[in-house]
Amino acid sequence: MSDTVRTAPESPDAAASASSVSPAPEPQQARMLTVRVQRSGPGEANARFDDYRLSVGPEDSVLDVLDRIRVETDPTLVYRHSCHHSSCGTCAMRINGRERLACITRMLALGSDVVTLEPLRSLPVLGDLMVDMRPMFAHIDPDWGYVRPVEKASTGVPHGVARYTRLENCIECGACMSACPVSNGTDDMPPTAAQAAQHAAPQSARQVARQAASQAAQGTDESLASAPPADPLAAPMFIGPAPLAALNRELARHPERREELLHIGKGPHGERHCRRHMACSRACPSGVYPAKDIMDLRMMHGGGKD
Amino acid sequence: MEHIAIIGGGGTAAALAHDLILRGFSVAIYERGEFFSGATGRHHGLLHSGARYAVHDPEAARECIEENMILRRLVPQAMEQNEGLFVALDDEDMAYRQRLKEACAASGIPTRDYTPEQARRLEPGLADTVLAAMQVPDAAFDAWRLALPFLATARAGGATIHNFTEVVGIDVQDGAVRGLRLRTLAEDAHGARGREWSAPADMVVNAAGAWAGRVAALAGVHVPIQPGPGVLVAIEGRVTNMVINRMRKASEGDIIVPQRRLSVLGTSMWLTDDPDHLDIPPEHVQRMVRLCSEMVPACAGAAIRSAWSAARPLIGNADAARPQEISRTFDCYDHGTRDDVSGLLSIIGGKGMTLRAMAEKTADIICRLTGRDATCRTRETPLLPARAFYRS
Repeated sequence: MSDTVRTAPESPDAAASASSVSPAPEPQQARMLTVRVQRSGPGEANARFDDYRLSVGPEDSVLDVLDRIRVETDPTLVYRHSCHHSSCGTCAMRINGRERLACITRMLALGSDVVTLEPLRSLPVLGDLMVDMRPMFAHIDPDWGYVRPVEKASTGVPHGVARYTRLENCIECGACMSACPVSNGTDDMPPTAAQAAQHAAPQSARQVARQAASQAAQGTDESLASAPPADPLAAPMFIGPAPLAALNRELARHPERREELLHIGKGPHGERHCRRHMACSRACPSGVYPAKDIMDLRMMHGGGKD
Repeated sequence: MEHIAIIGGGGTAAALAHDLILRGFSVAIYERGEFFSGATGRHHGLLHSGARYAVHDPEAARECIEENMILRRLVPQAMEQNEGLFVALDDEDMAYRQRLKEACAASGIPTRDYTPEQARRLEPGLADTVLAAMQVPDAAFDAWRLALPFLATARAGGATIHNFTEVVGIDVQDGAVRGLRLRTLAEDAHGARGREWSAPADMVVNAAGAWAGRVAALAGVHVPIQPGPGVLVAIEGRVTNMVINRMRKASEGDIIVPQRRLSVLGTSMWLTDDPDHLDIPPEHVQRMVRLCSEMVPACAGAAIRSAWSAARPLIGNADAARPQEISRTFDCYDHGTRDDVSGLLSIIGGKGMTLRAMAEKTADIICRLTGRDATCRTRETPLLPARAFYRS
């Protein structure tokens, strides 16, 4: 196309065009890396790792690199993405074993020559890096709000605005669900009295959680593409950190519904299963501290101790 | 009941599916990736008042203010309704002020003037060089959660939606569209990865956004789509609560959209033929930060959380002197009258926030072509909340 302009022409510093490498100030150079991606069908059937070797620039996010692999090498690579700036919550995955958003994780900042990408735990795998978010949303009421007043007092508001408002921090990405040892089946602490009472046969919390996790994970080994997957919405032992954090936010919005909302948190799959690993708060890419929300709920329930 | 197949899974496709379901059609959506992974999800999330376009693109301005008011009612939980300010920083901006005010009035966009002192009471982070400010009904929105309710409501109403399903062919026989050839990219109930299958359709709508040219080519027709990417930068922290715009002709680095714990700075614009390969030129990132920090100095010191590109689905216009002057309105093409391929429509142009209006116009044409007498009901029909998508 004759009138195609590769960079905005009228800009004063467009002299350095997109194609010519800009001088300074980025000292880091592009590097060759291996990206190791877990590939699998639904229910982690036929899971394997594929390696992609490519040159990665200092500003490239994990998502930028995945996009390049998909467009240039393998159009069947499946991962979720939308906003590219940590607002939508679709691109959470395990990057070198830690839950992160692919869009705001810079590849070279990871400091490893092989970067391993795996789907979130605790949620059923639909394919490659994509998990089924329905088990998490099964416990977040669609009608709960998503807007709240801003934290900082303002010196004024514009005409027609009673108070500045903002969207909730939680982007519902599932990172906390994956990181929670109780939800993902890696909890090695001895079971609490409450858990022991709930499950007649004495077993470790880890065994209980593993059972729950495998129920949620659509079958596993024996699940073939043709076999109907286990119901992903089957009640897990623990509804997990994200729904409880959302519950606590809804409580803040609607103190008049305190009894009804607290009842949900206190239920047989609610806060009682939290073992205070704090992994959820550490994994959150969005400044939510689900462990604190859970402790708030526990205090309101009259608890406070394990 | 006529079956309409929609190619593309962006906001326009979602709103169109919702509209067509309400008008009694059978609907299927086919998207090759995740829903809203093109321009729909990636823009800055500004619910435009239309003021940005009022002077040079009044048609787009009127579309914006009308949809602005409708979407505030339909999807309030996806928005920060804190209004917007245009700020003047130099004599040139001050000279533009009166034109902007009059153009806004002509397009039905309410405005309110503030002195620099008044403006800084609303937004203490504004530069002390601000000479004047004007309030407009802008808002910030979460792109994913604005579009998802349309998809959730359409599916609850009976639409079938397929993501990770690529359209590899459009079946045209005797000058009429018969259906689609599809390839499954993520193994699902429809079969293994890579499986090709066919789906019949009475009509096909090409709603592939910046990829609409490639889709049209599958049927041997042409649409004047011109992908126009731009760079956006998200910085840590809410530097303001209101949307901040530079009071001048729409240009680059002249919008700050706060959202959650971030502020999104944008944007640049260039033209490309390949929407799959979008550069993020480092000098564009630096320029966005520098230009926006002229309005709100805190932009300069903030850590950058993300920088990304999005390809606007512009309607090609070789006469535009600058990419920014290409109209942001939309148009719907009936390839039955244009190209002798009946049953195929392309909807191109537009903006993320005009999704509902684009759907209305397209569904009107579909009703006319199929002889179905059904009026649009999407202005007043309530939408399911975004989270209901995972239960629909």
